[in-house]
This record gives sequence, structure tokens and C-alpha cells, in this order.
Amino acid sequence: MQDAAAAARLPGSGLAWLDAARSEALQAFAARGLPDQRNELWRYTSLRAFAQRGYAAQDPAAATRGVDAAWLQLPGVEGPRLVFVNGVFRADLSSLAALSPGVAVGSLASALRDDPEPLRFLLGGHVADDDDGFTLLNRALAADGVVLKIAAGTVVEAPLHLVHVGVAADAATAWHVRSLIEVGTGASVDIVEHHLGDAATGHFSNIVRDISVREHAHLGWTSVQQASIDATLMRRTHIRLHDDATVDLHALELGGKLARHEVRVEMTGARSRFVSHGAFILHGRQHADAEILVTHRGRDTVSSSVWRGVADGRARGVVHGRILVQPGADGADGSFYNKNLLLSPDAEIDTRPALEIYADEVKANHGATVGQLDEHVLFYLRSRGIPLEQARRILVRAFCLVALDGVQPQALREYCEALLAQQLPEASA
Amino acid sequence: MATQPEEVQAALSGSYKAGFVTNVETDTLPPGLNEDIVRAISARKHEPEWMTEWRLQAYRHWLTMKQPHWAHVNLPEIDLQAISYYSAPKKKPKSLAEVDPEILAAYDKLGVPLHERNKLAGVAVDAVFDSVSVATTAQEQLAKVGVIFCSMSHAIVHHPELVRKYIGSVVPQGDNYFAALNSAVFSDGSFVFIPKGLRCPMELSTYFRINAGHTGQFERTLIIAEEDSVVSYLEGCTAPMRDDNQLHAAVVELVALDRASIKYSTVQNWYPGDENGKGGVYNLVTKRGECRGPDSRITWTQVETGSAVTWKYPSVILRGDRSSGEFYSVAVTKHYQQADTGTKMTHIGRDTRSKIVSKGISAGNSQASYRGLVKVEKNAINARNHTRCDSILIGKKCGSHTFPYMEIKNPTAIVEHEATTSKIADDQLFYCRSRGISEEDAVSLIVNGFCKEVFGELPMEFAVEARKLLEVSLEGAIG
Amino acid sequence: MLKIENLHASIAGKEILKGLSLEVKAGEVHAIMGPNGAGKSTLGNVLAGRPGYEVTAGTVTFNGINLLELEPEARAAAGVFLAFQYPVEIPGVNNTYFLRAALNAQRKARGEKELDSMQFLKVVRGKVKAMGMKPDLLNRAVNEGFSGGEKKRNEVFQMALLEPRLAILDETDSGLDIDALKQVAEGVNALRSPERTFLVITHYQRLLDYIVPDYVHVLADGRIAESGDAQLARELEAHGYAWVREHVAPGVEA
Repeated sequence: MQDAAAAARLPGSGLAWLDAARSEALQAFAARGLPDQRNELWRYTSLRAFAQRGYAAQDPAAATRGVDAAWLQLPGVEGPRLVFVNGVFRADLSSLAALSPGVAVGSLASALRDDPEPLRFLLGGHVADDDDGFTLLNRALAADGVVLKIAAGTVVEAPLHLVHVGVAADAATAWHVRSLIEVGTGASVDIVEHHLGDAATGHFSNIVRDISVREHAHLGWTSVQQASIDATLMRRTHIRLHDDATVDLHALELGGKLARHEVRVEMTGARSRFVSHGAFILHGRQHADAEILVTHRGRDTVSSSVWRGVADGRARGVVHGRILVQPGADGADGSFYNKNLLLSPDAEIDTRPALEIYADEVKANHGATVGQLDEHVLFYLRSRGIPLEQARRILVRAFCLVALDGVQPQALREYCEALLAQQLPEASA
Repeated sequence: MATQPEEVQAALSGSYKAGFVTNVETDTLPPGLNEDIVRAISARKHEPEWMTEWRLQAYRHWLTMKQPHWAHVNLPEIDLQAISYYSAPKKKPKSLAEVDPEILAAYDKLGVPLHERNKLAGVAVDAVFDSVSVATTAQEQLAKVGVIFCSMSHAIVHHPELVRKYIGSVVPQGDNYFAALNSAVFSDGSFVFIPKGLRCPMELSTYFRINAGHTGQFERTLIIAEEDSVVSYLEGCTAPMRDDNQLHAAVVELVALDRASIKYSTVQNWYPGDENGKGGVYNLVTKRGECRGPDSRITWTQVETGSAVTWKYPSVILRGDRSSGEFYSVAVTKHYQQADTGTKMTHIGRDTRSKIVSKGISAGNSQASYRGLVKVEKNAINARNHTRCDSILIGKKCGSHTFPYMEIKNPTAIVEHEATTSKIADDQLFYCRSRGISEEDAVSLIVNGFCKEVFGELPMEFAVEARKLLEVSLEGAIG
Repeated sequence: MLKIENLHASIAGKEILKGLSLEVKAGEVHAIMGPNGAGKSTLGNVLAGRPGYEVTAGTVTFNGINLLELEPEARAAAGVFLAFQYPVEIPGVNNTYFLRAALNAQRKARGEKELDSMQFLKVVRGKVKAMGMKPDLLNRAVNEGFSGGEKKRNEVFQMALLEPRLAILDETDSGLDIDALKQVAEGVNALRSPERTFLVITHYQRLLDYIVPDYVHVLADGRIAESGDAQLARELEAHGYAWVREHVAPGVEA
């Protein structure tokens, strides 16, 4: 699918440690290939159709392609902005002028060019057991990404805006993005990530990011995924929480043909806290796969996740939520709740929450349901004069709104609510 | 409240009460497995040609398979050539009166006095000693009403048409590695046939005992409930304490025709190995029932306290419209036991229902997993499932895991799963102790309450037994 | 305005209403009493069009239209309101949003102009004040976390906002203490008018001390066994439903 010649043109090539790591990853990819459904983590997501598509290794014109200015705006998000077009950082579309002191941000490509040494520890590592075909490709081929560091004690007020745009290129394009984010001790930052694109770009975007949230630091991460309907998105987000760190994640999955997001949370720090909310609403032949793997290692760690799924048409929604409590993680309190609505006879939902508990001073709960709207509630709305279709939409919307609990600022929340409303199953207005 | 590890360890080194060995002269095939062994087993049992062929077919299929490796189960590669596939007491009894007194004594020690039970109204017992059924009580009484309750070997010879029709129809020969092995070499087991419209007048039960060393036990049980019939069946299992591991790879098939109801209960107390994880039975069992007819019902209830490794998922295929499947389970693990158990409910017919209640208690260095699949097929309109899994951890070195899978292809389904894992609530323990109950009794009390819903599903006389077994298993589980 | 003739209805194949007839004129308050299982709530649900209730015979005409033909929302638009015995909680659906959707859907169905959000807020705030509801009601999800009394008061509040022509109160008194009962009754009484008709379904006479009915009907075994004025309710209170069984409908299980 990719060739070594492409690797030669990657930023940072020539650095011995990076070349070695990339070549090791490429070899490992050649050996492991893409994950198949015998891999438990890929049980419900088939890559057969994906594997048959061809992708260009890059979009040569990515640095100059025009982008609808409206795409770069998000209500309530007026802080610094980083824009990637077809996987390439675009300084011309970004606005980094208003950075607060203590915020260091730039593209991976320029960091590799100008000051690669600090990245050596993160990018020079060996292939790991939990690397799959996608993360290996990313290791081998990542050409750009975000390098963000929030200095200790820095409280960033305005949310940082991260935009991934896919626009029509000469051929369907693959891009591999690797981002590295560190929120320093006692620092606090909110990041709003927005994926969007032209209706017809069948790109393949493969994003891996490593996020470290240091002691007493806070990260708010809101991800709004509206990629084009023919796009394939593979994302893996590693989040490590140190002592007393908190992370608040919101994810709205609306676009893409095949969209998978692996959120792997390592709660190594004592008293760290991870909260996630997410929802997908799927139509047509969309396939979404949300995998939330939370590992409690430190003492008195708390994780809580609430995910909602709606599948209509011939769509398929997959949810895997695992809470793993390691020995010694006493006082861990983990919960994962997932509810799904199946709206069409041709849609499918596969959900599997999992608890793996190796410590006894713990509370761990999970729950999952698949079903339809409650008949009694529907009748209640109708008895008040609300027509059936409208009543259904009201309830589906309310069902998904839980995923937006806590989204800030208010203007962004309202925007997300409106997006949800648009995405609801076709019905008379 | 602090647990005291040394005392816990001391107490947990507890007592396996069924660990004696019985000295009985046996006819044992040499260890190893090949087509000749399969033929020899079949010949020793005077089986018809088709049965031998069926076994060989399974054997050849098995040769193409590999021993599976399961996540979360640490099972060493089993040397299947080191096992003897047939061991039977030499003195073949013709009637209960002729059963070797040593064997009767063995069952007495287990609390299954075959003579006395025979006289008890309401229970018929089939006793399987190593590979062979040694005694079946109450047969005549049952035969009068048309119930066939006998050993599988007997059924193959005397009711070939029934066996041939149903064997492998729920668990095909090549279903999985151990089921294929069982199909090739199964030694004995129970056969039950309940004719149309009959409510079986007594509880049927089988006691399985592995005695001989270096043998595997591969029994095969087949229960057929014809239209409008009702049957309740219970199996109990024990084995002596031996340092090497014994393999138990059984297959159980249940067929419920229109409006029939089968209740299958298991109290499994195979030797779990010692406190260092030495010895113990590998209990790798395929149990599956099919609600073949409309309005039929299958209930699995299990109390699993024994075995070094347990791997079993009593399942129900809900093919008939309005059929229902239930699974109630208590699994207790301690020492180095590993239990990976759960169920599969496959909804195919309309208006099918399933219910799953699983209670896990892990102590010592053990690992217990619930693994379940609820599958709603595309045409299974109005399927309903409710699953509840709760686990209790006792001690810091054990693990408890819950892996439910839900695959839903019909929008009229309502499928719900909930699970919790925690240790025994300190406030409950304290409450009991403040009322003067010892900590150990309090644990037993609380765990008993925790398991109540499952025990409630057992036939009355066995619920008492299960409760006792639980107490023994938990002895000193907390310091 | 409401005419029920020989109504038979069943649920899950079991017949509950067995030939009920009742005529109600505009502005009247009719109390429907009866022992548990007599079919009181079934009547309310059938009139509101709850799915699962099958009408096997009989007619219901409401202001000249055949009510039974209409979808639940069309009945609401025609002016039928059911105050539920067990109002459901709807997490995630805000009361303001819900009420505006309901009011506007009804207005639209009647060919009236829909209210924009400012107009609506003005109306709804006025009603909140008039009905003595807590203002934070509007920001909360429908019935979520409400106490039993709050739910019942919220039903009456919705009635005040939606201004139905036929209000059916299904055991609105059940589970209320005396103070809450009085509040609910005051709310209802405030809504009494010559254009509005009430069917008050209740097991106890208590509520009828506060909402004094023009007529009282005793329902037994799916039919009206006895009709009278408010005095009938007091006799029931004094004698219990056993009295009905003996005196007005022998052979009926209470």
C-alpha cells in the first residue's frame, strides 16, 4: 500500500534514529499487515473493502489548496488555530499570533526540521506489542502533526482550535498524522478538534497522538468529527494521566464512511480523573467504531464514560468500552455506560463493555443496551399534540444530548446541538 | 477492616472433601490417540458401524484443528497422547445389586448413596465412574411412563434411531477442538428421552466421577424433550486429588421440541488443584441447547466451584418462536483456579426471550471471567434479553472479569446488560459482625445472599447441597 | 360534546371495557369512580389513543368527530388532554422545548399561527406564575427527578398551558398528600369554564371534596353501573365499593 520511496521524502529523513524507527515500523507492517477480524479489537470492523482501495501516498498540492473560510470557524472557539489540509500543516490558514505565554505549538514537520532532538524519545521508540497495522504505518509514514507543550502552571483561557480538513485532491490520498501534546504540571487547556471535508473526498486519514497530562493539570478535549462521507478515519489517542490530572473528553462522531477512534487512557497517577462522553449517529452505509480502553494503575483513580449510538439505514455501530484495573490500583472507581438505538431493520449495533479487575478495593460498573425509543414516552409526547415523527426526533436528540454534557463554551455546545439535530434520521421538519 | 493474608492463605488451603481415590480394578486402554484407539473404544462398547464411522469422521476433523488459546485462560498445551481414552471398572455390573461395593462406597462418600437414592421418591440417578455408567436407578419406574433414562452406551445399542437422529444436531462434530475430540472418543454419559406430553415424574440426575489416573473423561449427554414434555436434570461432578491434571471434555446437547421445557442444573465440584495450583481437572465442556420448537424453554443453572480450569458456555439457540432461554450461574474460584464461563443466547425466532444471571466470587490467586454473547439475528422480531453479572473479589491477588458481547441486527430488539464488580461491602460485613456473627460466617452469609437468585433456580434438594458446597469453598476466604 | 356509546376495549386480548356509554356536555365535570380493575384508567387511555388498547366495538364522538380514528397527537390538537396517572420522565428533553413543541404542533394542526420563542416564553412564564410553579421548572427535563406531587402538578400546569376542551384526570390525586391535593385541585378549579369539560377519574372521594363534580359515575366490570350527583360519591365513601357490588352491580368483583 505504501512504498519506501515515499518514506525518503518524509520530513526528518536523514536523522539516523528516525530513519531506523521508520524502517523498523515499515518492516513490522510488512509482517503484521492490517488487522483482521480475528484480532479481538477488530472483531466487528472489517477492513476488506478498505484494503481494496488505493490511496496516493500524499497530496502534492496540499500546501496550496484553497479551503472554504467558513470551515475554519467554530462558534465559541476563538483562540489560536492550527489548520491541516490533507494532512499538511498550513501556516497561512492557521492563526498562532495570539498564543498565551507558556504555550509552545508548531507543526511536526517544522519541529523535525528545526529541532528534532526533543522528539527523539517519543518518535524514536521501538515497535510495541499493541501496535497494529495502522499505528505502524503511522510510525513509518507520519509527515506532519501538532507538537504542543503547555508550560507548567499555564492556564490557557481560550480553547485551542485544531482543524483537519480533507479537500478533493487529484487522487484519493492517504495521510498519516502524529501529534504530541504535553500539558505541564498544574497547567490547563481546552482543545477543540474539528474534522471536516468536501463531500466527495475519499481520503484515508490515519492519526496517532500521544497526550501526557502532568500532575494537577487539566485537559478538555472536544472532538467534532464531520469528515466527508467517503472518508476513512483511523485515530488512536493515547492519554496518560499523572497524579491529580483530569481529562474531560467529548466526542461527536457524525461523518466518515469508516471511522474508528481508539481512546487508550492510562491512569498512572494517583487521584487522576477521566471523564468521557461520546455519541455517533450513523446513516447509509456508515461504519463507526468507538473503542475506549481505560486502564487504572494509580490509587483512587476515577473514570466515567457515557457513550450513545444511533444507527439508521444500513449503518453499523461498534462500541468497545473496557475498564482495566491493575493490581495495586486500590480505590479505583470505573464506570462505562453505553446505550444504543437501532432505527432500521438493516442497521446493526455491536457493543461490548468489559471489566477486567485485578484489585479488590474497587468499584467497577458497566452497562449497555440496544433498543428503540420507549413507547410510553412516545405516547406521552403524542398525547400532548406532538406528531409521531417529531416526537421521535425529539427523543433521539435527547438521547444523544447526553454526549454533550459539559461541553464548553456554551456557543460551541449550541453548535453541536444543532449538528446533532441536522444529523437526526430523515423526517418531516 | 483489614484482611490478614497469612490466615487467608492458611484457611484457603482448605479442604477438598471429595478427594479420595477408590481402588477398583479397571480395564484401561493404553494412552494415546489414533484411529485404532477410536475403533477400539467403539468396539468395546459394541457400537453399530454408523457410530464408529461418526467417531472416525470427528477424529479426522479434529486432526485438522489446533488446541485453541483463549485470552485470560492460561491453559498449558495438553499432551493428548499421554492420556488414556478409556477406563472402565472390570466388574461390569448387570444390575445395581452387582455394582462393585468399592464404587458404591465411593458414591456413598460423595453423598450419593445409590441404593438409598433409588428408594427416594422423586430422583433417578445415573452414576458415571470414569468412562462408564455404572448404575442407573429407577429405570423401570421411568420406563413404565415412556421415559428413557440410561447410559449413552446403552442408548446407542438399544435406541439407535433416536441417537442417530439427534446426536451432533446441536453440537456438530467439528464445533470446536474439544467437542471434536469428544465426538471421536466419548466414552459414556447419559441419555434422556421424554416422550410427547409427558411431565417427567421425577428429577433425573447423573453423578460423574473421575477416579483412574492419567485418563480423560469424555462423556456425552443427550436430552430430548418431545412436544409438550417437561424434564429437570441435574449433574454432579467430583474427582480425586491427584498431582497431575485430569482432562474432562464433555459435550451436552439438549433438544426441546414444541412447548417442551428442559431444566439442566449442574453442581460442578471437580478437584480444583491444591493451594499452589498443582493438579486439578481441566474442565473444557461444550454445552448447548436448542429450543427447536415454538414456545419451548431451556434453563441452564450451574454452580461451579471445582476444576483447575473451567471453560464452558452453556448456550441456547432460540429457534422456535416465543421460545425462551435462561442461564443462571454461580462460579467460585480460589487458589489458582481459572474459570472462564458464561453463555451464548442466539435469538432466531420471533418473540424470543433470554435472561442471564451470573454471580462470580473470586478468592486467592484465582481468575474468574464471565464471557457472554447475546446475538439477535435479522429476523428475530421482538427479541428481549436481560443480563445481570455481578462479581465479588476476596483478596488482592485474584481477578474478576466481565466480557459481554451484544450483536444486534433487528431494530425491535431490546437487549440490556449490566454488571458490577466490587469486594464484599465493608458496611455489610460490619453490620453482621456488630450483631455477633463471626467474620467468616458473615462472608458466607453475604455471599449466599449474593447468590440467592441462582440457588433459587436449583431443584430444592440440590439447592441445599449447593449452599453447603459454597460454604466449604469459602471456608476462611477472609481473614 | 363527548359521546361514548357501547364502548368495548381490550388490552393484550383481555376485554376491560364491556359496553360503556357516557354522554358529557360542555362545561360539565364528571367523576368516574370505581374499584381497582374496573376499567377507569383504560377509559382514559382509550380516549387519548394509547397504543396497545384495542377498541373492539362502540363509538366515541367528540364535537361531532370520530375520536377513535385519530392519532394521539390529532386528538390532542382536537382538544383532548390526558393528565397521566404515571407521567413519564424524559431525560434530556427540556420542559420549555417540550411545551413549545407541543403547543405549536397543536396550533399548527388547528391552522393557528405558531408562537416564536419570545412569544412563547411570555405565555409560559405567565402560566408558571399563575399556577404558582417554580420558575426553574422551565429549565428542567420533563418530569425528571420530580417528586410524585410535582409530576401531578406539572400535568395540571401543562393542561393550563395547552387549554384543552376535554381534560381527563387519571387518578391525579393518587400519591398526593393533602396539601398537594389542594394545590392540584385549585389548579383544576381555576381552569373550569363553560367551554371546558372534565373527566375526573379517581378511586377516592377525597379529591371530589375539592373538585366538586356535576355528575358521578361508578364504573364496575367495564360498564357504568350507577350514575348520580356528588352525593353518590359520598355514599361510596361511606359504604365502600362492596356496597356497589351488593347494591348496584351484583356479581362484580371489587
